[in-house]
Amino acid sequence: MASLFRPSLRTSAATAVMLRLGRPVTTTSSATTAAGVRCTAMKNLEILRQAGMAKKGFHASASRKILPAGPQVIQGTVNEAVEVPDPNAAHGSYHWSFERLISVALIPLTVAPFAAGSINPVTDAILGATIVIHSHIGFESMIVDYIPHRRYPALRKGAMWALKGATMLVLVGLYEFETNDVGITEAVKRVWKA
Amino acid sequence: MFTRSSAHLKLSALPKPFLIARSLVASQFRPIATSISASTQNFSPDGAHSILVAQRKQRPISPHLGIYQPQLTWCGSAANRITGSILSVGAYGFFAAYAVAPVFGWPFDSVTIAAAFSGLPAATKFGIKFAVTLPFSYHSWNGIRHLLWDTGKALDIKDVYRTGYVVLGLTVVSAICLAMV
Ligand code: HEM
Repeated sequence: MASLFRPSLRTSAATAVMLRLGRPVTTTSSATTAAGVRCTAMKNLEILRQAGMAKKGFHASASRKILPAGPQVIQGTVNEAVEVPDPNAAHGSYHWSFERLISVALIPLTVAPFAAGSINPVTDAILGATIVIHSHIGFESMIVDYIPHRRYPALRKGAMWALKGATMLVLVGLYEFETNDVGITEAVKRVWKA
Repeated sequence: MFTRSSAHLKLSALPKPFLIARSLVASQFRPIATSISASTQNFSPDGAHSILVAQRKQRPISPHLGIYQPQLTWCGSAANRITGSILSVGAYGFFAAYAVAPVFGWPFDSVTIAAAFSGLPAATKFGIKFAVTLPFSYHSWNGIRHLLWDTGKALDIKDVYRTGYVVLGLTVVSAICLAMV
């Protein structure tokens, strides 16, 4: 829909700005100084800014307020490049492979109870632990994605520690459930048949 | 020579190519003498830094998700994250509650939960089961699709759509079957 309106909108806005941009050209030919030209150029930018064109020119739809831009943290001087972290396999390829290993392990562990009807307590505990590790990694990647360290160093740290705390508590609960109750697969089965 | 007035005087006498050169020159050089004084401000590195910070806040932000055409590719990807977090929040909630239940004296064990569940109407039972099996099915099938991608296979757009539809089909079938058991 917006594209139906947009061309005309853009044309009229652009025409309005161009009309005003057109003015300095005439003033130039009537003995103004080059410094004067620079001044009008600045003024044109101001016109663009006031018309909202400087930014709006890129947008096809109405701008919506999502989240305000977070705090802008610039390390070092204004021209410094982003710091490249030291290569570390434990944070890179090993971590990636471990994530996949856990995910691959989930396939037989998920299929087993369906295929066998029930699984022994050790396999059930392994399934539980694998789900917790897989979930922990999943939550971690969401924190990494949505709470950038650069902008929210404290919040990022806090979220990571909160996740570690939650995972510890969950592991305690899993241990208790596996030792005092009937285990995950058996419990699901009982609720399903209830 | 570079002031506009001097160039203006002999305008008509000049050959055409020179006229073009004149206009280029005039637009690129500041005049030596001018009555307009441009005002400048001195900034310390700290001041420049704060201007940069202020400018960054004016930058266009990524467009709202709503402007993108919904496509199987990115919607399926978002669904993987959403279904994964539904399952994980559920699992974390369950085990955390089980861990703290004795502290608060909650009756929270498989016998109590199964008993409470059995008292619900059949439609509610199916609804609750389906609310679990749907994200579980989608995330599991799509997880396998992810692992297939991780081996470098099925990565072109045709295969991405083909496997995407397979996942959707398997999800609907297995979610309904598992909820009906
Ligand atoms: C057969 C079963 C499963 C398989 C094969 C599987 C596979 C995967 C894979 C490959 C990813 C990574 C996706 C990516 O690279 O972006 C993932 C993410 C995730 N999974 Fe699973 N998964 C399974 C079951 C589960 C279960 C049972 C839970 C929760 C209890 C779960 C929770 C999550 C979460 C929270 C994420 C992170 C989502 C994200 O980062 O977008 N998964 N899963």
